Amino acid sequence: MRSASGVEKTIWDRLFSVLVAAIYIFLMFPIVLVVLLSFNSGEFLAFPLEGFSLRWFEALFSNTRFLQATSYSLRIAAISMIVNGVIGTLAAIYVARHAGNNRDRIRLVMTSPLLVPEILTAIALLFYFYEIGVGTDYSIGIQIGHIVGTFPYVFLNVSSALFNFDRSQEEAARSLGAGAWMTFRRVTLPAIKPGIITGCLFAFVISFDIFNISLLLKSLGRNTLPLELFDYLRFNFDPTAAAIASLSIFLTFAAILVIDRTVGLRSLRF
Amino acid sequence: MSATEAAPRVETPTIGVGRIGPIWMLAPALVLLIGFFALPYLTIITMSLREASTRAVYGEGFTLAHYTTALGDFYIWGILGRTLLMGAIVTVLTLLLGYPVAYHLANSRSRWTSLLYIFVLSPLLVGLVVRTFAWMIILSNNGVANKTLMTLGLINFPLQLMNNPLGVTIALTHVFLPFIILPLLGNLQAISPDLAMASRSLGASRMRTFLKVTLPLSLPGIQAGTILVFVLSISAYVTPAMLGGTGGRTMSVLVVQYLVDNFRWPAGAALAIIMAAVAVIIVGLYLKLTARAMRRLP
Amino acid sequence: MTALTIDRINKRYGNLHILKDISVPIAQGEFVSLLGPSGCGKTTTLRCIAGFERPDSGRILFGERDVTHALPEQRDIGMVFQSYALFPHMTVAENLSFGLEVRKVAPAERKRRIAEVLSMVRLQGYEARFPRELSGGQQQRVALARALVIEPSVLLLDEPLANLDATLRDEMRFFIRDLQQRVGITSIYVTHDQSEAMVMSDKIVVMNAGVISQFGTPRDIYERPASQTVAGFIGRSNTIAGKVTEALGADSYKIETPCGTIGTLGPRGLVRGADVRIMIRPESIQTRRHGEAANASTSDENVLGGSVVSSTYQGNATQLKVRLPSGDEMVVDVSGRNPLAVGEEVAMRFAARDAWLLAS
Repeated sequence: MRSASGVEKTIWDRLFSVLVAAIYIFLMFPIVLVVLLSFNSGEFLAFPLEGFSLRWFEALFSNTRFLQATSYSLRIAAISMIVNGVIGTLAAIYVARHAGNNRDRIRLVMTSPLLVPEILTAIALLFYFYEIGVGTDYSIGIQIGHIVGTFPYVFLNVSSALFNFDRSQEEAARSLGAGAWMTFRRVTLPAIKPGIITGCLFAFVISFDIFNISLLLKSLGRNTLPLELFDYLRFNFDPTAAAIASLSIFLTFAAILVIDRTVGLRSLRF
Repeated sequence: MSATEAAPRVETPTIGVGRIGPIWMLAPALVLLIGFFALPYLTIITMSLREASTRAVYGEGFTLAHYTTALGDFYIWGILGRTLLMGAIVTVLTLLLGYPVAYHLANSRSRWTSLLYIFVLSPLLVGLVVRTFAWMIILSNNGVANKTLMTLGLINFPLQLMNNPLGVTIALTHVFLPFIILPLLGNLQAISPDLAMASRSLGASRMRTFLKVTLPLSLPGIQAGTILVFVLSISAYVTPAMLGGTGGRTMSVLVVQYLVDNFRWPAGAALAIIMAAVAVIIVGLYLKLTARAMRRLP
Repeated sequence: MTALTIDRINKRYGNLHILKDISVPIAQGEFVSLLGPSGCGKTTTLRCIAGFERPDSGRILFGERDVTHALPEQRDIGMVFQSYALFPHMTVAENLSFGLEVRKVAPAERKRRIAEVLSMVRLQGYEARFPRELSGGQQQRVALARALVIEPSVLLLDEPLANLDATLRDEMRFFIRDLQQRVGITSIYVTHDQSEAMVMSDKIVVMNAGVISQFGTPRDIYERPASQTVAGFIGRSNTIAGKVTEALGADSYKIETPCGTIGTLGPRGLVRGADVRIMIRPESIQTRRHGEAANASTSDENVLGGSVVSSTYQGNATQLKVRLPSGDEMVVDVSGRNPLAVGEEVAMRFAARDAWLLAS
């Protein structure tokens, strides 16, 4: 319900604003806290802050385990993004253009990983890979798990872009003599590119943060970054952890900003 | 061409890529989802029926023993009950906190709307371990919360805010708040602004308009959001594992312990199936109940 | 005392000055249309009357009651929306009952009034239906009923027929007007469709870019438009430029044009030498082949000569375009078929009282 422009705010309006502001603060507070503490020169994760320092970031960058975990996570995320970018886009195009009566059923299957708890998927894959003999060697299991887990994000975003795309543009191109492939390459693809990019970025970021699947499917001795942080926090409680957390947060915000500037946040599909 | 010739059969070309058997476009995704998603779920069921073994993850033969043992174990019932209760409380809390935010965002027309949208979304993408870690900082005995309360003189000894269901509940509420805001927001935005104007033009106050028009029409969003948060809460692992200690242990934590620490895969599988079954039953009942409330909606 | 007074309201959005000193007095029971193109401020004016916008300055009065600062729910209005805005989760009866419940009308009385108003809109027996079960026209009638059942002081309608197809729109125009007259409720109607405004209104407010171009009866506006903008907006017109040579009596003038002297009517106070444009509606002109009938123009009749440039058969009429020696083109409506061919010389006759002057 839109309040009339120029109408005075009553006491209830002000109270409501205060309530909503408090909830926004509640949403952001823990994250802001972690970032602040990562710059603390003191040794403890506590206030008051003793001073500004980058020492924990330095400690982080000299911690080989974290660096290895980061590169491992990046690798898995990149592969997930690329694989899903291709098969997700293809599937979305198929569902939008060729699925006919089966459209809803196929769509349900395509988004099914989002509909079930991740822990169950992780358990299922753990058992499955064991049964078929792959086990957790060579990171095959964990990689496939990440691909499955992030597939729906690419599919949904590309589907959304296709839905919003005006098909009469394709028809206009065909009427001008362009063939199917040329139409796709020069008319459709550029129009849905933002959707593809958004979906891929999402797949990347989500993969980076996946925990449950990584926990159960991890190869011996190789941790993704969230797993490494989890292990670290079992025995240590210092700002180094805050530094990783901060970096993670900065990366996420950077990704969101990129998405917002190129495509606009409201076009996102979960 | 004479008028008596039959008109040539025109094949309606499909616009887009691939005329002939575009099924190849869907195939990789189907293989992925059937081969590495649907089928694996079947193995949970088969695994839960296998015999236990001390030398390997499972032994020869099949049995229902894991189910009977689990269903007769009070400890497990206790954990299941605690998990479900926590899920319910988190769901209610997120609804109470999330609805005002969604309402505010739906009606906001200022330039800051985009920024607020980011505020709501960003915690989602930051990563569960990071967010739970942030709560550890706040809730521990030497943490921000206790230190602040003691400095203010409100307490003398630190409150036990962690390693129990309380800490887990608070953290899960924070973690899943965006998940309820989004469906609510989507629903609220879909309600035509003319309806509220019509209501007020008929003399209804804003509160009455909200209660009689907006709220009923937002029930689908409430239904979807609460189911989502409930399922996420009861299946959460990271947050209860980091913040729950022994007092705040949930089913997911127990199952992972069975699988990873104790290598009792069949028993763990049975527990997972039990939890999933209970969740399905609860959600099914909830859907039935809420459907009655929503029967008048288009 | 007027039933509704809009007194010098102004409204700005940032740098845009949407409403500039709008003043309109409306009598009890009048049906007044706010007519104009998109962006002229008509909808904003309506929203100010309803209370969904607050004017930056000026007043709005219902009778003697100053409602400028009142909330919409306090104003005692009934509003009909382009989108109908029926509550989808309530039946027709519940939709109608909504406003009555707010006013604490007893259940038995509510039931009676709902039945009464439903029969007024010819939907008796539809109490238990849901909006989604009704056609567009039926939904609009329910919306109208909902606004009327609470017996408000003022009825506000915001382009209510825009979503209906053409035949239905025609029917509904007469239906709404008829109902309004029987009930006798003061009504404000926003539309961009000039024929709609002409057919339905007691008075029309023609608006353009935030100001009122003219406020008058449909006849005033059609036959005596205040400016070229208004003349061009309502119906079709021909205009010829000229200068005033004589002012005769109350409102008669003689105008000197490149095509000769023309006798017209016009607004008072125009002086000799003033630049004007003469407006003649296409249907007021009669054509004859050049040479047929007497050529002499009498003091209350004008004759212009020209040649036919195009002739378009439209079924019930033929539209002729005639070029004058000065180079101007006139549009003439002739009923049925017309034997005049392109290139023929014609004489166009029109009465002085059918020519009106527009100040440049």
